[in-house]
Amino acid sequence: MMVIALLLLPLAGAAAAPLCGRKSEKARDLLVRLFTLFSCGLAAYLACTVWRGGAAVLDVPDFCGLGLHFRADFFRAMYVLLASFMWACASQLSPEYFAHHRANGGRYACFTMITLCGVTGVFLSDDLYTAFVFFEIMSIASYPWVAHEETPGAMRAAATYLGVSVACGMVTLMGIFLCWKETGSLLFADLKTHMGEERAALPAALMLVGYCAKAGMFPLHIWLPKAHPVAPAPASALLSGMLTKTGLFGVLAIGMNLMGESRTFGHVLLALGLITMTLGAVLAVFSVNLKRTLACSSLSQIGYITVGLACAVLLGHHGGLAASGAVGHMVNHSLLKLCLFLCAGAVYMNAHTLDLSRLRGFGRGKPLLHAVFLLGALGLAGVPLLNGYTSKTMIHEGLVELAEEVEGFSVYRLCEWIFLFAAGLTTAYMLKLYICLFWQRNPEEERQKEYDGMNRRYLTKRSAVTLVVTALPLLAIGLLPNQALLPLTVRCTPFLHREGVEHLAFFSGTNLLGGGVSLLIGTAVYLFVVRSWLYRKEYVNRWPAWLDLEELFYRPVFCRFLPWLGTAAASLLDALPGCKLVAVWIPSAVTAVFRALDHLMDSKLVTRYLAGVCTFLARCCDRLLECRLVTRVIPAVLTALTRVFDELVDHTMLLFREIFLTNRQELNRSKNHSIFTRLASALSEGGHRLGRLLRPGRWLPRKEETDMRYGSAVTNAVSFGLLLCAVGIVLAIVFVFIRIGA
Amino acid sequence: MELMLICTLLPLLSGAALLFVNIPARKTRMACALAAVTLTSLACLYTVFSGASGEAAFALMRVGPGLELRWRLDGCGRVYLAVAALLWPFSVLYAVDYMRHEKREGRFFAWYILTYAAAAALAFSDNLFTLYVNYEFLTLLTVPLVWHEKDEESTRAVKIYMLFLLGGAALGFVAMMGLSALGLGAFDAGAAAEKSAFDVLRVLALLGFAGFGVKAAVLPLCRWLPVASVAPTPVTALLHAVAVVNAGVFAVARLLYCVIPSAAVRGSWAQTAMLALAAATVVYGSAMAVREQHMKRRLAWSTVSNLSYMLFGLCLLTRDGATAGLAHMVFHSMTKIILFFCAGSVLTQTGRTQIRQMHGLGRSLPLTFGAFTLAGLSLVGVPPLAGFVSKYALVTAALSLGGTEAWLGAVALILSAVLTAVYVFTVVFPAFFMKPVLPEGEPVREGGACMRLSLLLLCLVLLLGSVFAGRIMAYLTALGEVLLP
Repeated sequence: MMVIALLLLPLAGAAAAPLCGRKSEKARDLLVRLFTLFSCGLAAYLACTVWRGGAAVLDVPDFCGLGLHFRADFFRAMYVLLASFMWACASQLSPEYFAHHRANGGRYACFTMITLCGVTGVFLSDDLYTAFVFFEIMSIASYPWVAHEETPGAMRAAATYLGVSVACGMVTLMGIFLCWKETGSLLFADLKTHMGEERAALPAALMLVGYCAKAGMFPLHIWLPKAHPVAPAPASALLSGMLTKTGLFGVLAIGMNLMGESRTFGHVLLALGLITMTLGAVLAVFSVNLKRTLACSSLSQIGYITVGLACAVLLGHHGGLAASGAVGHMVNHSLLKLCLFLCAGAVYMNAHTLDLSRLRGFGRGKPLLHAVFLLGALGLAGVPLLNGYTSKTMIHEGLVELAEEVEGFSVYRLCEWIFLFAAGLTTAYMLKLYICLFWQRNPEEERQKEYDGMNRRYLTKRSAVTLVVTALPLLAIGLLPNQALLPLTVRCTPFLHREGVEHLAFFSGTNLLGGGVSLLIGTAVYLFVVRSWLYRKEYVNRWPAWLDLEELFYRPVFCRFLPWLGTAAASLLDALPGCKLVAVWIPSAVTAVFRALDHLMDSKLVTRYLAGVCTFLARCCDRLLECRLVTRVIPAVLTALTRVFDELVDHTMLLFREIFLTNRQELNRSKNHSIFTRLASALSEGGHRLGRLLRPGRWLPRKEETDMRYGSAVTNAVSFGLLLCAVGIVLAIVFVFIRIGA
Repeated sequence: MELMLICTLLPLLSGAALLFVNIPARKTRMACALAAVTLTSLACLYTVFSGASGEAAFALMRVGPGLELRWRLDGCGRVYLAVAALLWPFSVLYAVDYMRHEKREGRFFAWYILTYAAAAALAFSDNLFTLYVNYEFLTLLTVPLVWHEKDEESTRAVKIYMLFLLGGAALGFVAMMGLSALGLGAFDAGAAAEKSAFDVLRVLALLGFAGFGVKAAVLPLCRWLPVASVAPTPVTALLHAVAVVNAGVFAVARLLYCVIPSAAVRGSWAQTAMLALAAATVVYGSAMAVREQHMKRRLAWSTVSNLSYMLFGLCLLTRDGATAGLAHMVFHSMTKIILFFCAGSVLTQTGRTQIRQMHGLGRSLPLTFGAFTLAGLSLVGVPPLAGFVSKYALVTAALSLGGTEAWLGAVALILSAVLTAVYVFTVVFPAFFMKPVLPEGEPVREGGACMRLSLLLLCLVLLLGSVFAGRIMAYLTALGEVLLP
């Protein structure tokens, strides 16, 4: 019941919001806020029920062919709650965000609600099919977010987003088909029992493509750094905080269920995670755009979560800590990105720019924004007493455990260093954003004055409260990790197939040391790279413009090479029926062969000798059998057969010409003594006459010329039909012969 | 029996009456046409859903030994007739507004209704001979509709149309005669044949597939469908996306499931050839649709591709395959008719035919493009819309058959789904999210009330079809079990 309500409530909101918006925009905003708050309450109730040990299972048989299956265990309920919380916060801020740019508000509200439905459905799904259904709904419904601004840049980013979603979605679908073929069931619970690891590899790999693309994992991350900056800030918060998590949900569900014990899978995941983590962090350090930096940071954090998952897979049954760390970081990252993107929204709706150089000094004298952003930045950077530190520590512990499993130096040790380095980069780029916004002064005095003039009136009360509400969980989790975070992750263990950890000494010396090393690296990078190389009186983009995976690889392959290949193939197919080889050469060659045979038959050599031999033989037979029939019949039949074939070929040739050259004159001119041709032309003449007699003109008044044309079309068709009939009759005769023979 | 006669004679007589009796007042004429079609549809739907009345067979006339015109309504026919009967009244309703922009509308409606008689009779056919005769009638009765404009282009189109369809029917004729000679003319799902005749049966099956497949636009002979889209939109929408092309699929289904013993074809080279042709057409049609910039022709290419989806399902010769193929027939018909109607609305309201000119029109024509989006999503196969259900069933049917050709077919279907997304989304998203390319002289408005009403109702039909897809699939699964006992 609650599940249905959670799914239908956003849909009702989606239907009601645009209708309501026609009357008044305020009413629409109020409606959206109410709907999201209400679903948030409902989700909280569901989470409480599940926490107490209750379960919510829902099957909708027959819907959409295979039926839908939902289940709410604690992990799912928690994520649904988190999703609706984020939606509620984002919709509190959006009215103010859109205050200056009111166009298409109804569309935005409608698709936001549909996306909420999709996200809820993905998290509650209990089989691959249901997950896919809602995943697709979500992918398509979030397109209008990216395209909202309708600028060329936004359209291009949206096209990339849609292209990646659709193409990877289809690959996932293929994986689901294979999985269905192997197991006959798509329930998550059945996957593990029904399928061996080797047979599972291909379906799992295909299915993971779609989910990894949504999560933004390398090499399918191309949409993410483009789509997040162009979307409106509340939508970016949701895209980054929640939509990427649906992808990770798929990775968790499929990876843990199907490939939970495969070391290869673990290694692939580890490699992808490390690449994504480092790439995202490096891109974020180079970026000079506020939201783009945050988007690249999302990429990097997704990498952390993936590394955590990889450790959990590689450690097998001891992987509980790493798995808890991954889930914990998912939660933390959602909360952090909500907070940070909403701050970025608050910046953008006042300053109307995202360029860091122009934003310098924006936050001076704005204590509330300052505090909230600082909490978010420190949380993301992994400073102790804030939430990012807790989950990063858990993942780090997992990596250390993995490194200690092997004696001496191993690749895993290297992985740990990369991890610490990437964490350092996180500190560096967050420091860059923080100092830029809140400490530097803008060199343009006018602008700085303008920014200072906004103090105290840059946020409405409701938005300010929203920002504070988003920042509170960061502190709560960070201060009391053993009470706030670990119980949550322990309850998620049935979903992860790993035993969770009840207690961890987060603030022990070794763990603090790891965090400290990262902070040191980060400060060093900030001082020696960001402030010296990447800052020359203003922030400079030193990332080479040509180094872009999308422009270098995807677009050329998918927009140039594949269409070219397709066009070539299509043109070939296109040309085939009309090409001269088929229309002219083959028929002529066949005719020539038959003509030659005919001439051979007509030539005296054959007539005399062959006929002589035949006659002689026949006479012999005749004598033998005392029957004159043989002398006459056999040669006659032979000649008749050759004639028939000859004429058939003649006729085919002519009609081929008739069809392809469409020239009646040709047909008449080359009229020869063929009986079939005569029959055909007589019939077509008859058809023509008949057509004139029936005179379509009686009921279709028109000019004489078109009348003629109509007649000729009829006769053409009739004669073509005749040809095919002739073919059919010959085949029928052959068939009768075969049958008699058998 | 009476019901079947009513279903055929009602449109026949009313169509003939409209042809010969000149009704001067437009309103009266439209009302008559609409009433005739609605009554016929009601009769047809009653026949389909009332169950028992259709089962009794009766013979109209006897032409020769084994060649008689026998009528009966069974499951396969019910599906075909139900789809046609459901959509016909909406098309006439749409045409009431659409044909305001065309000449000779009285004659148009007469032929449009006459075609209904042939379609109904086709559904009632109880042996191959009857099927063939009604199939030919359906072809000939649509010729005046394709040739409605009577300009250079439509004359060329009608020529190609007749060449392809009559020629194809002739191939079908050969198959029909051959099968009748073998004593397999009657529809009997459990028909058996001697092993020695299997080779002949395979040849005949392939001939019949090629012949009847022409109407379903299978690869070598698929070009007529895009060319025929010069006809007025109600014709392209109903006949060249639903009634006529479905007739081709229906005839192939009859041939493969009711006439030729499936043991003869299953697993043979003939089946491989058919599957290969269908799979190739699926990709070819989608690829051509991506390339095409003319709206109606793009939709026609998309129809080419989707018809082969159905044929592919049918050629699998399994219960799942038959179910999935017929399901795609039902759901695709509901979807494609909406797409064509939207294209027609844009054509009448703005005169634009090229896709580039339609950028940014979504705001001035919200209903039209909203409906287009809904149907487009279904065509792409975005869950939970109906198109997804049947495509999903098709691929699973192919995979459960196994074998290389089924595998390649499944990959072809997925590839085509991606291409479908490309050719649908490049219409939908620019319409809503891009600025209009052409300067607008005067504000564009939605079409007339009848057009809007029929679009809305069809969207409702599509949504209901999506919601009750499970029910429909269950019915078709039962039917599949009857077809392959």
